[in-house]
Formats: sequence, C-alpha cells, structure tokens
Amino acid sequence: MPEITEINNIKTLADLNTGDKGIISSVGDDCLDVHCHCLRLMELGFTPGQEVSVVAKSPFKDPVAVSVRGTIIALRKGEAECIKISSNGFHS
Amino acid sequence: MGFTAKNENCHEPKPFKTLTTDKKLPVIVLIGMPNSGKTTLFNSLTGSNYKTSNYPGATVEYSTGKFKSGFGFDAIVLDSPGIISLNPSSPDEIITINGLFNHPKFGQPDEVIVTCDTTQLSRQLFLIKQVIDAGFSTVVALTMNDLLLKKEFEVDITLLSEILGAPVVKINSAKASGISELVKKVSEQYKENFILDKRINVVQPVNPKEEDVALLYDFTEETERKVLKPANTKLDINEINKKFFDLHRKPDAISAKLDKFFLHPFWGMLIFIISMGIIFTSIFWIAQPLMDLIDSGFSSLSHSVSHLLPQDTWYNNLITNGLINGFGSVMVFVPQIVILFILLGLLEDTGYLARAAMLVDKPLTKFGLNGRSFIPMLSGYACAIPAIMAARTISNRRERYLTIMIIPLMSCSARLPVYGLLLAFLVPPDKPWIAGIGMGALYLFSLISGSVVAGIISKFKETEEKSTFMLELPPYRVPVFRYILRNTYNKSLVYVKQAGPIIIIISLVLWALTFFPNYDLKLPREKTSGLTEEGISKLEESARLNNSFAAIIGKNVFEPVLKPLGWDWRIGVSLISAFAAREVFVSSMAITFAITEEDEANIQGSLLSAMREAKKSDGITPLFSIASTVSLILYFMFAMQCLSTAAVCRKETGSWKIPLLQIGLYTLFAYILSLTAYNVLNFIGIN
Repeated sequence: MPEITEINNIKTLADLNTGDKGIISSVGDDCLDVHCHCLRLMELGFTPGQEVSVVAKSPFKDPVAVSVRGTIIALRKGEAECIKISSNGFHS
Repeated sequence: MGFTAKNENCHEPKPFKTLTTDKKLPVIVLIGMPNSGKTTLFNSLTGSNYKTSNYPGATVEYSTGKFKSGFGFDAIVLDSPGIISLNPSSPDEIITINGLFNHPKFGQPDEVIVTCDTTQLSRQLFLIKQVIDAGFSTVVALTMNDLLLKKEFEVDITLLSEILGAPVVKINSAKASGISELVKKVSEQYKENFILDKRINVVQPVNPKEEDVALLYDFTEETERKVLKPANTKLDINEINKKFFDLHRKPDAISAKLDKFFLHPFWGMLIFIISMGIIFTSIFWIAQPLMDLIDSGFSSLSHSVSHLLPQDTWYNNLITNGLINGFGSVMVFVPQIVILFILLGLLEDTGYLARAAMLVDKPLTKFGLNGRSFIPMLSGYACAIPAIMAARTISNRRERYLTIMIIPLMSCSARLPVYGLLLAFLVPPDKPWIAGIGMGALYLFSLISGSVVAGIISKFKETEEKSTFMLELPPYRVPVFRYILRNTYNKSLVYVKQAGPIIIIISLVLWALTFFPNYDLKLPREKTSGLTEEGISKLEESARLNNSFAAIIGKNVFEPVLKPLGWDWRIGVSLISAFAAREVFVSSMAITFAITEEDEANIQGSLLSAMREAKKSDGITPLFSIASTVSLILYFMFAMQCLSTAAVCRKETGSWKIPLLQIGLYTLFAYILSLTAYNVLNFIGIN
C-alpha cells in the first residue's frame, strides 16, 4: 500500500489510488532514467495541465489503467512515476 | 487527354505521374493511431483482394491491395501497423515510419489517408497535424462519428478542413457510408497535384523536443474546441459545456462499467482464467478431430496414389511418403493456426486482448517477458507453430523474440505420445495413475524451465530496447466477424506459402535419409514365411530403415555420441526421423524394432515388450533401463526436435539466428541433462 501523502504534496501518477484524480504538472522532469520514454508519454496525451484519473489497477498493482483525454491507457508503475501530479485531489 | 500531352512535354525523370498507363499506379498509404478504424477502412477500400508482406529484412508487416473496382479510381493501397506519432520509439516503429516516407518497394506515397477517431479528437489530431506538416498530400477520414453523436457532438468538417488545409470526410466502414466520397476526394487531390505538376516534398521531423509536443497539443486542443459542435441545438450553454467536459475527461461509459468487472482483482482474474482455458481447450481439443481428418485424408490420398503408380519403385515412395506426407505435415497445423487466429482476432477486436495483457504483465516482466507473451506461451502447449505466429501481437521486438525463443520448451501435444510410451515403460502396469502424475509434472516443469530460460537470457542479453507497456485499452466493441475470418485466412495463407516450402524440403530430406540406399529391398522367403503381406511389408520397411543412410549416420555418428546416455543407434534413427515431428518417434521406434503388429491398438503393447527385450550391442544388458528411459524423457523435454518449428521461427524472426540458437543450445542442454541424469541414476543404483 502506498503511504497516504498530503493531498497537496507533489506526487506522481503512480502514487494515486484507484478512483483518484489529478492534474499533470510535468512529465519527465528530474527523471532518473535516461532511457525514459517521456516523450512518448506526452505524445500519448499525457501533457501538463491534463486531468488524469486511475481507472483500475491490475491484481499485482502494476500496470495501472489511467484515463486521459477520454482514453484509457495502461502504464507500468515505472512509466507512471515519470508523470508528476499537482493534485487538487477530489475523488470521483 | 490533356494529362498525357502534358506528360509527354514534361522532362520528368521519374515516371511518377502517369494517369493513363497502369504500369505505375498511384500509391495511397493509410495511416492512423492504433484502434482508429484504420484496418477496417482498409478492408472496405480493398475488399478481400489484398496480401500481407514483410518489409525487407524485417518482421514488420504491411498489407497491399487495390481499390475496389467500383470506386473508379485505380490505385495501390498500403496498410501498415498503427503509429502514435512520426517520432519512432522502437526498432519496429523506425521501420514502419521509414516505410511511410520512403517505402522500399513503392517509394514515397502519392496520397496519404489518415484515420481519426472523432471521440478522441485532441489525441488523434496530433498524428494528423504531424503528417500534414511533414508535407504529405493528405485526406483525413473521420471514424466513429456515430459514437460521437451518441455523446451529442458532431464535427464541423468544413471548418476542420479549413484549419488543417486538407480534405476531411466522415466515414462509417461498417455501413460502407462515406467510403466512395473518401476515394473521390483522394482521386481529386491526386489529379489536382498531377495537373499542377506539384512535387510533394516530405520532411521527416527530427528529434522533437517535449516543448514541440506540448505546442502541437495546444493546437489540437484549440482545434477540437473549434470544430466540435453540439448535435442537439436545444441544449443550453451549460449543458453543452458539461457534455464537452465529459467527452474530454470521461472514457466511454459502457467500457468503464465493463472494466470494473474485467479488471477486477478477483472477477477479472477469474474471467481471464476462463477465457484462457477456452483458448487452450479449443486449440488442443477442437483442433484435434480436424487434424486427424487432415492426417487420414492425406494418408488415404497417399494410399490411392501409391496404387495408381508402379509398385515398389523409388518414385512411388517419393511421391507418396515424401511429397504427399510432407505436404500433409504442412497442412496438419492449419486447423490450430486458424482456430488460434480467430480467437486472437476476437480478443483483439473486442478490446479484451489489451486488458488480458495488462492483468498478467507484472509476473511476466520478472522473466523479461510482456503481458502479451501469455497467449503465445499457452498456445505452445498445443503446438509451437501457431504459438510462434501468435507472438506477433507482442509489439516490443526484444520481448517478442524472447517469447519465440522459449515457446519450443512448452510441452506441446506432439510430445504426448512420446511421454505416453516412455512413462508406460517406467510405470508398473497396475499403477497407471503414477504415469498421470508424471505427465502433470512434465507439463508444470516445462513452464518453469521456459520461465527460467527466459529469465537467464534476458539477464545476459544486453538491452537494446527498453521494455515499455503503454498500451491503450480501447473501448469494448462488437467485432466484425467477416474481417476476422478474412484476416485469419490471410495469415494462414502466409504460413502455408512461406513456412510450407521449408517444411516440405525438410521432410523430403528426412525421407531420403530414411529411404535410401536400400530402397529396392527384398527379404528372403524363409524370413517371411507365415506372415501376411502387410506383415512382410512392415518387416521390409524395418530392414530398409535399419540399413538406410539415417541408420548409417545413426550407427557411425550418433552411436558414439548416444552411448554415454545409454542409448544405441536404433534410438538415434528414431530421433532423426522425429525431427519431422516429435510424435514420429513412436512410429519410427515401431519400425526400427520391427513391430509387425497390424492392429494399431496393439502396437504400443508390442513395442513395450520389444523395448523390454531389447539388448545393448553386448547382447546381455537391457537397452531400456529406468536410467536410459528417464534420460530419454529429459532429452525430449528440452531438445529442439521439430524442424517445422525451426522453419516457422525463421519466417517469423526473419533470420536463422534464433532457430539455429534453439537447435544448438536446447539440444546441447538436453544432451548434458540426459547424460547427467543417466550417470547419476546409474551411480545411485537405479537402473
């Protein structure tokens, strides 16, 4: 279980629980992995300012299904970590 | 004919624009994001007349067809895999995108049709804008307009066309509406470019930055806001805004409801297990009667042909045992391939395949595999050949090759008769349940060994391509069965045409090895007295095989190698024959041990007693001990004893590297394992 962080703290898409929503603040900033596919994430529609929500998680908690721009995209946890969320945190 | 006149006067070096000669038809390329309705459109444009090929030296597939004659515009249409953007992020995408800009066979396209799912306008306009900016002469085909209408919006195509600077057409492939209008726009634009003699200069975008992507999305979002018009004019502005907001933020409502179920930690897994169970039983049990039918069809064909041709001639045997049987061994896999591709098509087109991959991705990543490796691995338990073909659904090349690499380790159905015979030898006849447990253990062990091998290879092989998942879970849709069948037909045809010849050549070589040089063999009377004609021919067959090139190789090359495992040349000959297919081992053993039994049910019994009586070359020690039989089972678990699999592997990976690696590595490993087991068992006194 991911620890419950303050709702206004900077966190990543990987920290959200099923049903949580958030606004993307940045993609791939201070990303530790140089081979990261951050550009591809943005091309898929994960651009700053977009609202995202976690639709479902697989039984192993990874990958997660994320809704963005009216589409559901499954991402591995490592990929979801590249997406920083500035949550104005409301639950659906 | 003004066009031709112009063409004659023009000193164009390339015969690039010729409207009247059909030597070089206009080339139209279809592009679109995955799930944007691109392949369905391709089907409507070309009808059933298309073929699937690979880019040279690569395993990326594209389809080519011609516009249906009813459209009145003759052109070649190309369909390649769906892309997200023009910036490739994997080796396969590089091939696809380079193929768009400069196709190895067709060059640069004259016109490009981009499909666009209107329910995801801001995402899909991204690719369209890139394509137009790259300089292609583009026509936009808007799909899923009825779904958008259900959400009470429609696209203002005049405005969109103005903003993009390209013609825009609404289409519905299922109802075949808008298709001829689309073709009309394409042909008009093509002719206009031709008259104006407009050279199309395309420029591939170079290393775009994140800011570029963000800017492009600003454009698509703005465009979306402009061109989406409420379908119901009675709504007030607040309702419209709310609906627009929903369209943007909320995925398809029905899919969201279904996903609560299909992606549920418990129910989702249950549905997954049931659907995988259905796939497994279908390719295992439903295909079996069809395979038997093909098998008996070819043997009765071979029988009747044999009677028509002069008896006891080498060419009679070549045609019946070599060619017809070789062709039969190609066709026998077709039922499994057809069933597997129909099921895969259903899973893919309903939208479930992506979800199934998501459910099991995590455990498979531990072994360097992908969620999509699961179905190929499962299919490998029926037969490696359709399984290797099913690995096409894995988009990451490294993970696809790794999956293909381990598929031959899965305990395929051709191993069943071999294990059946050998376990029956090991187990006391009054306790057949031990054999059942043994069989179960062999199945489980093959899964473990496959995963371990994948894990080891992925640790040692350097990563050229980062493993990513990033898979769109498309809205659930009702599949169009007609397209699935057509697709399956095309894929099966590719198998028969491309892997078939290799399999036939291999079986002809194996036939020659087991038939020559003593093909014209006659047994002396005293040896055959009291036997029926059938019995005599079986004895002759045995004598022929035991004096064939295969036996010579078996005695001189294999015997010294196989002796440390406790085997002799007779097992060696059967192993050579079993390269055609593993189950041939049993019938080949029956021939080498000269079983004259005619009733098929008794063959195993007679073979078992022959195995118990068989002695080594010293004439005293039994050939089949517990130790040598166990080592034989271990050998069959790992050895790449199936050249048809190697042929399909060659076809699917585009080179001999992986099949040769499988033959070399797995056979060597099988040998070492069998050797160790034989010696350890003898050492501890089990023999």
